[in-house]
Amino acid sequence: MKLRILLADDHEIVRRGLRALLEKHEGWEVCGEASDGREAIEKALQLNPDVVIVDIGMPNLNGLDTTRQLLQHDPHFKVIVLTITDSDQVIREALDAGARGFVLKSDAARDLVSAVEALQNKRMFFTPRVNDLVLAGFLEKGQTVSRNEAPKLPTLTAREREITQLLAEGNSSKEVASLLNLSTKTVETHRSNIMRKLSFHSIRDLVVYAIKNNLIQIELPPPPKTPAGPTAA
Amino acid sequence: MTIRILVVDDHSIVRQGLKTLLEGHSGWEVIGEAADGAEAVEKARNLSPDVMVLDVTMPRMNGLEACRLIRRHSPDMEILFVTQHDSPQMMREALEAGARGYVVKSNAARDLLAAVEAVSQHRVFTTLNDGSYPQVR
Repeated sequence: MKLRILLADDHEIVRRGLRALLEKHEGWEVCGEASDGREAIEKALQLNPDVVIVDIGMPNLNGLDTTRQLLQHDPHFKVIVLTITDSDQVIREALDAGARGFVLKSDAARDLVSAVEALQNKRMFFTPRVNDLVLAGFLEKGQTVSRNEAPKLPTLTAREREITQLLAEGNSSKEVASLLNLSTKTVETHRSNIMRKLSFHSIRDLVVYAIKNNLIQIELPPPPKTPAGPTAA
Repeated sequence: MTIRILVVDDHSIVRQGLKTLLEGHSGWEVIGEAADGAEAVEKARNLSPDVMVLDVTMPRMNGLEACRLIRRHSPDMEILFVTQHDSPQMMREALEAGARGYVVKSNAARDLLAAVEAVSQHRVFTTLNDGSYPQVR
């Protein structure tokens, strides 16, 4: 029987690349694609794939919250997280969310097949940096990194994180309400609670928080061209 | 019409996606790939493609610098940026650097073929992710 894989990434061009890579492997098929976290959850529940591959930086619902929600629905889902960065914080959050594989996007062509094979054989797959971090945690403290060194647990609930991401992406309360099938008044209440809990006074603070906590990701432009030095007259 | 294309992006999975899309078009051929601007400059010189599909943010040398260098040495080669940067300022910089086309990555699957077709005929093709229609002139 074929191994069925669900792909979730907001860029169709990336999904095409991933599909081409995975379908070269005999016995694997991509059973579905999703372009954001909400669609990924819907399709995973509908298609019941063997492996779900999720990009961290997706609109509407990011990959980490998608992983958390998927595993709340059914802890048997096997999730591989694709990321553009392997910072300590992202690693900790991915482990904490329950991902069983962690692959850098830049290394996906090399590592993704190994990651899916690992999950197929009921093992986990992490990049060398993740392994180092987890090992360092065990050696130094005798306990897992996530227990000892992780930053404070997020003070926001899952729903509040979803709303924070949507607001930081530029949606109004009315638009958030429509996306989540809630009333505008309920969203406004969540919004006030979020601002109060985090002691924020502006949407700008919320955007910075969302970026720092990987709820949204941005790509910075390259540095400007170095101006030519002064020339002698 | 045969078009020979060089694909440049630091993520091989993105190169693979672009290649799959481009090679689905009859007569078009991806003749090479590069993972950064410096490699792009070298391969542009060696392979002389008709069109280069180029990312902006890459290690070693970014796409804007590569574009300026390539335009200086190969004025007939057309350059099309495919980038994450959904910004009019970046689009202006890309065109000033000598590119003929600008497509936002999230729209690449929709716009790439039309963009390559346009720039290969030395026309300008630009589109941002703001709901506006692509501009071809």
